[in-house]
Amino acid sequence: MLKKIFFLLLFILLFTACSNEDASKDETEDKDPSSDTPSEPADPFGVYEETITIAIGQEVDPSDTSLQDGDTPLDNQYTRHVKENLNIEVEHAFTASPSNYDQKVSLAIASNDLPDAMVVGPVELRQLVEADQIADLTDVYENYASPAIKEIIDSSGGVALENVTFDGKIMAIPNSQASADGVHNLWIRQDWLDELGLEPPKTLDDLKKVAKAFVEEDPDGNGQDDTIGLAGPDTSNKLYANFLESTNNLYGFDGIFSALHAYPGYWLEGEDGELVYGSTLPETKEALSFLRDMYSEGLIDPEIGVREDSGESVISGNTGMFFGPFWMPYGPLTDAVTNNPDANWQSYALPLDANGEYTPHLSTTTTQFVVVRKDYEHPEAAMKILNNLLANESEFDPSIGGPGFYPLRLVYAPADEMEVTTVALREVLAGTKEPEDFYDMPAYKLLKSDVDHIHEIKLEPYDNMDIEYWDPQANLGQWTRAYSALVGTAPLVDTEINGVKSVIYSQTKTMEDRWVNLKKIEDETFLKIIMGTESLDAFDQFVEDWNNQGGEQITEEVADVVAK
Amino acid sequence: MRTKGFAKHYYLMLLPGFIWLILFSIVPMFGIVIAFQNYNPGLGVFGSEFVGLETFRYMFELNDTMNVFFNTIYIAIMKIVGNLIVPLVFALMLNEVRYMGLKRSIQTIVYLPHFLSWVILGGVLLDIFAYGGPINQLLAMFGIDPVLFFGRADLFPFLVVGSDVWKEFGFNTIIYLAALTGINPALYEAASIDGASRLRLLWHVTLPGIRTTAVLLAVLSLGNVLNAGFDQIFNLYNPLVYSSGDIIDTWVYRAGLLNLQYELATAVGLLKSVAGFMLISLSYYLAYRFTNYRIF
Repeated sequence: MLKKIFFLLLFILLFTACSNEDASKDETEDKDPSSDTPSEPADPFGVYEETITIAIGQEVDPSDTSLQDGDTPLDNQYTRHVKENLNIEVEHAFTASPSNYDQKVSLAIASNDLPDAMVVGPVELRQLVEADQIADLTDVYENYASPAIKEIIDSSGGVALENVTFDGKIMAIPNSQASADGVHNLWIRQDWLDELGLEPPKTLDDLKKVAKAFVEEDPDGNGQDDTIGLAGPDTSNKLYANFLESTNNLYGFDGIFSALHAYPGYWLEGEDGELVYGSTLPETKEALSFLRDMYSEGLIDPEIGVREDSGESVISGNTGMFFGPFWMPYGPLTDAVTNNPDANWQSYALPLDANGEYTPHLSTTTTQFVVVRKDYEHPEAAMKILNNLLANESEFDPSIGGPGFYPLRLVYAPADEMEVTTVALREVLAGTKEPEDFYDMPAYKLLKSDVDHIHEIKLEPYDNMDIEYWDPQANLGQWTRAYSALVGTAPLVDTEINGVKSVIYSQTKTMEDRWVNLKKIEDETFLKIIMGTESLDAFDQFVEDWNNQGGEQITEEVADVVAK
Repeated sequence: MRTKGFAKHYYLMLLPGFIWLILFSIVPMFGIVIAFQNYNPGLGVFGSEFVGLETFRYMFELNDTMNVFFNTIYIAIMKIVGNLIVPLVFALMLNEVRYMGLKRSIQTIVYLPHFLSWVILGGVLLDIFAYGGPINQLLAMFGIDPVLFFGRADLFPFLVVGSDVWKEFGFNTIIYLAALTGINPALYEAASIDGASRLRLLWHVTLPGIRTTAVLLAVLSLGNVLNAGFDQIFNLYNPLVYSSGDIIDTWVYRAGLLNLQYELATAVGLLKSVAGFMLISLSYYLAYRFTNYRIF
């Protein structure tokens, strides 16, 4: 009897487990979203007659305290705006902190339990397409994308759409970032330079000298041996940006690599026209050797690769130099200045290469994508939310609920947004133009508020960008923006940039299986070479391993993709 | 007849455990097929294409795999040895302490870390061993250059084993102390009368008295050889020490969950399970041989 009960139970359990799988499969198959196209005319800003809901996966930063009292990530100025203007109710399928978001997305993909819509990166996008988990958005994009978004996406010269087109179908909505995100400037404590009577480092040798002075000559004058010459990447950042993540690498050594014409992580066209992977070239070995010397002399943060957050040492005033994009004031610099009003962080298009030219790597402008679950009834809702955001983002006050809380937010910026902003602010400060002259440029969505507020925070003389001629406390939000433009972006406007692009910014077939392991040997070997736990010749072994373990095949595939 | 009726009810009490076992241990075994497929989550296990042993071939091609297996066994064996010897020695020493108050306080203090999770202890350890942390400040007093402890692949396994032994030895000590109280005091008296010194007592009375406990603990821990402690290593490691610190579980976590290589992660996990099954069978047999300990 007992035996029978157990077997019955076992049978039921197994049966239900299997039949559930079947049921969910049927569901995905019998609903084809393209068949029930709405009968009403397509309107990018059309209001739904009945409230519809969209359950999204959202990144929520627990340290973001900008929400005003009583508001939540699901109920704030922007979600209410979406509700009123579009009659879309936003719900959460999941939320995750920035460091866990990718993992949550992976889990959602693995369990085939996708939110109605979410933001993903290029690797996940490809995976979703191949698993046939997301909706074909070709019609949605054609019919519902607002003219402004289409204009910005087209400004990338077709790259953005190319990245989301699979077999002729648009499978996701791409973003478009300012190209300034991809250049990693040298940020340096000008007050330390002045204290020690030094000039900003023009060449790599200068860089070493300055770092040495910063480490040994107690630039902060506290009598302690606690200063870091050049900060390095923490556990969540990379030694250098790569072709899959080409933007916004903080504290990496991008500047040093590119000054030596090494572009690790990028696919390049070699002298003979053959495609090569930058990490395997002799220039990269040379750059590693340079970094290895710097590290052994104590000029680089000794705790690179182990540190949880390199930004902390910037805020606490222990770091003298680091490489980062123009928007570092949005990162640790705001806190650094609040902490110490004398922390005069300035940004330079340095160091230069042997010919005295600035040769940084450049990024793709498309890095993030909004995807929609395959059988979601209102795929156009995601598009409408994006239209609405671009049209209205400048009206929202970031200090009572910042962009981090805007559902499905993709960055939409014309590629030259920051450069245009920098020039506009300079002209307004110099008095050659009035703020009103810049009011009629809707694609540059924050420009109007930038020019309107610049006089609140910038003190005279207007052409001196040292921190003492600013008043950050007058309006910290606007200061962040203006400092990013006038200090962070200025080098990109004022310097002739001989940048280098990767020939591709997306994955090929074999990469899906092999890239993770190739990247792993690359990262580990390079970090160990720099930190001196492996000899420099480990590089040659790496190149050999890399080629044998799939690199050769991938290189051929890349060549095929480029040839097409 | 009446007692038989009773027994049925007792068997029914097994039911919740049985259901749990089926749900969480038997049903998931179904997922093993992923290792033999070119798995695609959208198509599921029913739709994905079977590729036979392709994944296993690739697995043995990777330098990682052998390395990870080696690390797992290396770290686990060191942990087993450390967790056997340190508490045993400590229990013997503590047993010689005659002042009960002191004995109890020492016991309490050393077994406190057992109750802290690795999430907390990991953070504490990373701070203590940081570049500017207390340990390095201490070294500086002796003129030794600071060491980046958790960035050194050669030191990492020892730090892992050391911190694990430090966390657990107090708790294991209690087991030995309990075994020590089980020794008949008459044996000590008799030996003393025969003129045995304290060292002799230890050698000829105490140690034989707790031999079975020690052997049992050692043999049972064999089954854990392939579990070198995910929590601990996950909270302490970083890319610099992957080469010597990555164990099967952390590697599978990264490959499967972070990097979406489901087939590979499943294949390695399966290999671990097979090896683990053999080790548990072996340890069960040895436990029976040496200490007559058996369940069935």
